[in-house]
Amino acid sequence: MIPRLSEGLADLAGKLASAIAPETSSRYAMANTGMIAMLLSALAVESERAVASRMTDVADLKTLFAGCDRQAHPAGRDARAAFLDCSPASLRLSDVDAVHAEGLRLLIDLHAWAEDHDPALDKRIWDFLLAHTEHHRLDPP
Amino acid sequence: MHPSLEPLGERLASYLADRWDEPVTLLDIQQIPGGASRETYRVGLRTPSGERGVIVRRDPKTSLIDTERSLEYRTYQAVHRAGFPVPEPLVLEEDPSHLQRPFSVMAEVAGCESAVAALAQPPYAAHRQRLGEGLWSLIGRLAAMDVGDLGVATFMPVPEHPAAHELDYWAGVIDSDALHPQPVARAAIRWLRRRLPPPPPRPALVHGDFRAGNILFDQHGDIRAVLDWEMAHVGDPLEDLAWSLDPLWGWPERSLAGGLLPREEAIRVWERASGLIVDREAFRWWQVFASLKGLAIWISSTEDFVNGESKEPILAVAGWLMTDRQNRILVDRLHPDVPGRWAEPLL
Repeated sequence: MIPRLSEGLADLAGKLASAIAPETSSRYAMANTGMIAMLLSALAVESERAVASRMTDVADLKTLFAGCDRQAHPAGRDARAAFLDCSPASLRLSDVDAVHAEGLRLLIDLHAWAEDHDPALDKRIWDFLLAHTEHHRLDPP
Repeated sequence: MHPSLEPLGERLASYLADRWDEPVTLLDIQQIPGGASRETYRVGLRTPSGERGVIVRRDPKTSLIDTERSLEYRTYQAVHRAGFPVPEPLVLEEDPSHLQRPFSVMAEVAGCESAVAALAQPPYAAHRQRLGEGLWSLIGRLAAMDVGDLGVATFMPVPEHPAAHELDYWAGVIDSDALHPQPVARAAIRWLRRRLPPPPPRPALVHGDFRAGNILFDQHGDIRAVLDWEMAHVGDPLEDLAWSLDPLWGWPERSLAGGLLPREEAIRVWERASGLIVDREAFRWWQVFASLKGLAIWISSTEDFVNGESKEPILAVAGWLMTDRQNRILVDRLHPDVPGRWAEPLL
């Protein structure tokens, strides 16, 4: 077993881009090999942080929901309260994704309400979205 | 010629011989990158009048953009008749029995480059200013064309309110294709619904994907053809201008639109060519819309990659990298404090 998954993927991406792509015999093959190498580089980053970035989002969402006024988006209040107590069934990415997605669904409803009723909450949600996009950004070489 | 492509080339040559009623011999066939919504091949042929190159675009099993091939082909015919630089459309075949799937054939525009990455390399890098002026002149020229004269209204709807029509369409794509919650896209849709601009004074033919990546250019810095009309529609001419200026097309370069011209200069070139003055308030809307439309396309690509038969790497690039970048652009543009990390402020 290669212990560091992300480094292994990054090494494969480098091999594909620098040694294999130039040996391909058509522009189509070279372009696609290059794209796959770039994706492997991105996935090397993602594999290392995938659970952490989603759990950071979940923690931020819980903080955001816990800090909401009791009157905020009444239709979603019970679901948000339940979310504060939830955690993934396991650390498998599919289980983490399920909780992450539930939090984002609740956020979408809350955001739509905040735009009409609570500018300060709207701003906090945009701050969350800014942090969220930073947690998930992919900048392959 | 790759052996696996030879049967396809031979079937095409046989088809064209019947269609053109003359001998046609296959010389070469190569699949070429780009044209992400169709499989694209460059085919060399010998006919009684000499050797010629054609470009064949065949429907894929699944694609980046779900489009209607006959609409695209008829648009090529309309703009070609009007003297707009596009490859000459030669054949549209919708019967899948010939090449397994429907396809179209265009004349090859030889001696050109289309890869955006080439713009940073010699000899093209020295012509970026010229290419930029050419690009936004063409976008403006299309905006100035009369929809009635082009004849496109005979096969395209003419929406009463283009902004509302386009927003409904792309919001619907997100509704149907998103595989997980999209809080940035949803916020953008709500922002756009609250601020719909009025219809344009005069509708125009909108290319729908007019940018540096969809042109053929030569080593002198001349644009020889505009490609990929599959998203063409009648609408607001500001749509093409805003789309061409989206920060994604120059990523991560921020100062030059599409890596070619400063954004304000691109707008001036467009205004000169179109004879129109940009309504800045409406244009703000179209800039946000452009980023939302891009995000919708990447979300749809993700769905195609996950659930479709095609596993083309371009679909995965769109699903991971492009989605991420477009989300960052939209957050930059809609965040009340305008952090401006990834995109210049709205013009």
